[in-house]
Amino acid sequence: MSQITFQPSAPVRSMPALGRLRLGFDIAPWLYLSPVLITLFVWTYLPLAEAFQLSFYQWNMLPTSPQRYVGFDNYMRLFKLPEMRRALWNTLIYIIGLFPLSVFIPLAVAILTQDLTGPLRNLYRALIFIPMIIAPVVAGVVWRWLLNQDHGLVNKGLEAIGLSPIGFLQDADWALPTLIWITGWKLIGFSTLLIAAANASINPAYIEAAKIDGATRWRIIRDIRLPLLSPVILMLSMMTILLGAQWSFTYINVLTGGGPLKSTTNIFFLLYEYGFSSMTVGWSAAAGMITFAGFTVIALICLKIMRKRAIYDN
Amino acid sequence: MTIDLHIADTAVAPVSAVTSFTRRRGWLGRAMVHALMIFLAFVAIFPVYWMLVSSFKAENEIFSTDLWPQSPSLENYSFVLKSIPMLRMIVNSTVVSLATAALQVLTGLLAAYALVRWKFRLSNFIYGAITLSWLVPFQVTMIPNYVLASKMGLLNTLPGLIIPHVAAAFAVMMLFHAMKSFPQEVLESARLDGAKHWAILWEIVVPNLKASLASIAILAFISAWNDYFWPLLLSRSMEQSVVQIGLQMFMTQEGNLWGPLMAASTMASLPILLIYLVMQRQIVQSFMQSGLR
Repeated sequence: MSQITFQPSAPVRSMPALGRLRLGFDIAPWLYLSPVLITLFVWTYLPLAEAFQLSFYQWNMLPTSPQRYVGFDNYMRLFKLPEMRRALWNTLIYIIGLFPLSVFIPLAVAILTQDLTGPLRNLYRALIFIPMIIAPVVAGVVWRWLLNQDHGLVNKGLEAIGLSPIGFLQDADWALPTLIWITGWKLIGFSTLLIAAANASINPAYIEAAKIDGATRWRIIRDIRLPLLSPVILMLSMMTILLGAQWSFTYINVLTGGGPLKSTTNIFFLLYEYGFSSMTVGWSAAAGMITFAGFTVIALICLKIMRKRAIYDN
Repeated sequence: MTIDLHIADTAVAPVSAVTSFTRRRGWLGRAMVHALMIFLAFVAIFPVYWMLVSSFKAENEIFSTDLWPQSPSLENYSFVLKSIPMLRMIVNSTVVSLATAALQVLTGLLAAYALVRWKFRLSNFIYGAITLSWLVPFQVTMIPNYVLASKMGLLNTLPGLIIPHVAAAFAVMMLFHAMKSFPQEVLESARLDGAKHWAILWEIVVPNLKASLASIAILAFISAWNDYFWPLLLSRSMEQSVVQIGLQMFMTQEGNLWGPLMAASTMASLPILLIYLVMQRQIVQSFMQSGLR
């Protein structure tokens, strides 16, 4: 792709009079950029810096009460809190648990159904995408109803086939897998369509050539399709790692509040609890800084892997 | 994260490749493929269907497992409308989502134009700062955001729900890519004709980017409509809040009012589902172009 950039020093005559002040630089781009830059500065980057600052203070968020400087105490305290360890561990479980739903199953379905044509194909596509546009709160509420211990349809079905009902959201062993399922339910269809689109754009000449060479169906998938699908697979994996635990936040908040017995809490929910339930702003800020730093490092590693490993069809 | 993929509809594989594959698979193979897709479609829409059906079941049959109500009733809907200002909240959600979508498109358009049009000192840095903003989890910045909103008097107001979302990194990125693939010669010749930047943007760029602008507006509308966390922090009264918050009123400690809860959920989802019914193809495509969000 040829990229033509416009040098500000080029034809001065076409610049609006106001555009070029005698400042040694062009002010026009900054005017165009200002709404976005101001918004991101005021609501993202400045708050990030403020959160960093708050992580060294003790404060209960009341405007009238003073902020007390405590140095690294918040950080030290966090590492000793068992709930912090629990939350970090659960964050990892959420991410790993999401992988089958956001990557593996969609990949298998996309490849298994690649020959599908005709009007039904479009209907399937339209239907499996629907969870993606459903509001997380609605998804949470509807699954809460389906999985209700006493009256939910799923448990009535289990009883009908002779099994005992399961406390999907009440049982500490079931609650976390249940929340992972609800988070993943929204993603399966979307991931499937994304991988299917990438799969359909693979140049059929490669497949033809391999078939002429006598390659089996499995070898075509392994040696041609999977490598050419690696950009979209890596992209979905990266999104799952970086955002998976954040996606489950709404469900934790609406459905379990982190319980039972802290079994469904994760680091993002812990930040919220420290901030708005126990009003320990310093802890929330310090845990937030650890989270941000950790995920930034992971993001950089992911981007590096994506650049190195992704195979593009040139 | 923008990914440039050829969407399946546009990338039509030569017929020979497709048919030879299907012919090799027997009817059993094809039946399995349909069974798989039907299963996936069932998992995707049954919860939505069950929400709809439950919302029409009166109190005496809400616990029945019938897949269709014996005597469909609007009892739950009238209960919702009596207990909370649901219509007001739907209007609020609509106002907030429309304003957010319009503003994100506008600010994204201006920023992307500046980044494509001018190469200036810091322009790479600026683009990086915009694109990396999605790395900052909202839960990390929520306390300073909350404090700022309360200082600005935005608690419990609709502007409070809109102002932090005036700009979105994804809108800038998508428009940046769309504009970069726009033929630069056209812009160049317009400029040589003496057209001002502002005029070029509105008379040449915008009419040619209608599809991208519509995609971004749809995505922004849906994500603003579905947003829950920020309204949760800001809202104090039902009158100044959005539908997602209204649902909570029917989840109590003692037990849930399942019928009204499903009716309220249906009302909260209906606008989005109707838009999807009309613009299904474009919505799917927009989501896929933007990656996950």
